[in-house]
Amino acid sequence: MKQKFFSLLCLLLSACAFFEANARIYKVDDVPMVHLQDRTRYVSNPDGILSSSSVAQMDSMLFALEEKTGIQTIVAVLSGIEGGDCFDFALRLGEKHGVGQKGRDNGLVILLSTEERCVQFITGYGLEETLPDAKCKRIQDKYMVQHFSRDDWDKGMVEGVRAVCGVLDGSMENIDEEDDTVAIIACCAVAVLCLVLVLAIIWHANRCPQCGKHSIQRTDSRIVERHSSFVVRETTYKCSKCGHTFTKRNNEGISGGSGTGGGVIIGGGFGRGGGGFSGGSFGGGSFGGGGAGSRF
Amino acid sequence: MKMNKATIIVLAVVAVVVIWAIAGYNGLVKADEAVSTAWSNVENQYQRRADLIPNLVNTVKGYAAHEKETFDAVVAARTRATQITVDADNMTPEKLQEYQEAQGAVGAALSRLIAISEAYPDLKANQNFKELQAQLEGTENRISVERRNFNNAAKEYNTSIRTFPRNILAGVFGFEKRPYFEAKDGAENVPSVNF
Repeated sequence: MKQKFFSLLCLLLSACAFFEANARIYKVDDVPMVHLQDRTRYVSNPDGILSSSSVAQMDSMLFALEEKTGIQTIVAVLSGIEGGDCFDFALRLGEKHGVGQKGRDNGLVILLSTEERCVQFITGYGLEETLPDAKCKRIQDKYMVQHFSRDDWDKGMVEGVRAVCGVLDGSMENIDEEDDTVAIIACCAVAVLCLVLVLAIIWHANRCPQCGKHSIQRTDSRIVERHSSFVVRETTYKCSKCGHTFTKRNNEGISGGSGTGGGVIIGGGFGRGGGGFSGGSFGGGSFGGGGAGSRF
Repeated sequence: MKMNKATIIVLAVVAVVVIWAIAGYNGLVKADEAVSTAWSNVENQYQRRADLIPNLVNTVKGYAAHEKETFDAVVAARTRATQITVDADNMTPEKLQEYQEAQGAVGAALSRLIAISEAYPDLKANQNFKELQAQLEGTENRISVERRNFNNAAKEYNTSIRTFPRNILAGVFGFEKRPYFEAKDGAENVPSVNF
């Protein structure tokens, strides 16, 4: 009797554990964002509902899509969602992470919840034209729902994502606007700064050491010393305001040109992204509630 | 010379106040403009829903011709709702409520239309109807998103005109409180579209 009770308890506990492991209810904040750790990954599959080969297949499709068009995607496959409203959850997920490039608003969220038995697409403002609600619905109907209703999550997701990529591929160019603007602004700022610096030096150098006025004129210039690789030139200046006369000595290279200060080359590019395993980021796109959902 | 110093101080204070007033005024104009933009987005989405109705009604008519009452109700609600427009710059709580009720009636009529379609399997299987339904659902979603955005913009604006010291500026330049959507029982039931 005691043994029976014990085994029953064990069964109950394991059932609880099984239930716990299989129907976790996710909050929007709890959904792990694999893309942030590795920029080639998009599919969040924390419960292992999908096989790793399906995940890899989708990741590679979505990575190619982003490289080509700049469209950013979050795919989340969860066992349960807080609130039970697929649209609301997917929208909040997209808005929280700002998926999509800022200004172009080309983010896409694909959510599958096995507990609610729903699939939901959310399209950013910028995708509403190429991927209108009706098209989302058609893709779900044609490629996803039939597999999902048989609990074939892998096939439904892979086919659905492939169809979405097929529609979006070539719909826009990856112009990476944000980075370019930043780079241009930074270049301009550096150039302006250099110009100001050079002007300030010249301005300062042209002051009369006695009265401080910018009114010196060169009156004489001659070579006073000769060396093997350079000459020393003495230049005489006279201030037209106070009449002060002074000389400056400069070293000059033999090949001509003055020896004061060389050219400064400002180098450095603005690279984007590192190797294959560096973390990615989302651009801050916004959503207007476009997309469609299906239940099965 | 002493007089001069006092004048300078007064002038400096005046300059600071003027600069603050300009910045504050511009901020208020910006917030006000944001509310108007958000409102036009709300109207656009309601318009989008209104534009879907003829097509949807015609599609359902093809399969369920004798549900005339339901069609008439949808069309009547739509006609009434399109007649009520709210000027973004002249919005009153009463006007907004009227608008909300009219649009709520459209929503309710549409949900009845979708509900009767449940009884017609051929209609439910029709691809055109499915896509119209998806568009309707998407539009309802967009409406709720834009309503939320509008409410946020209006709340932000209302807060900024009521907090010190901007409330002085708002009083001087006549910035008034904007109404916003309040969730009401029944009137604004978003039709639940199930598939």
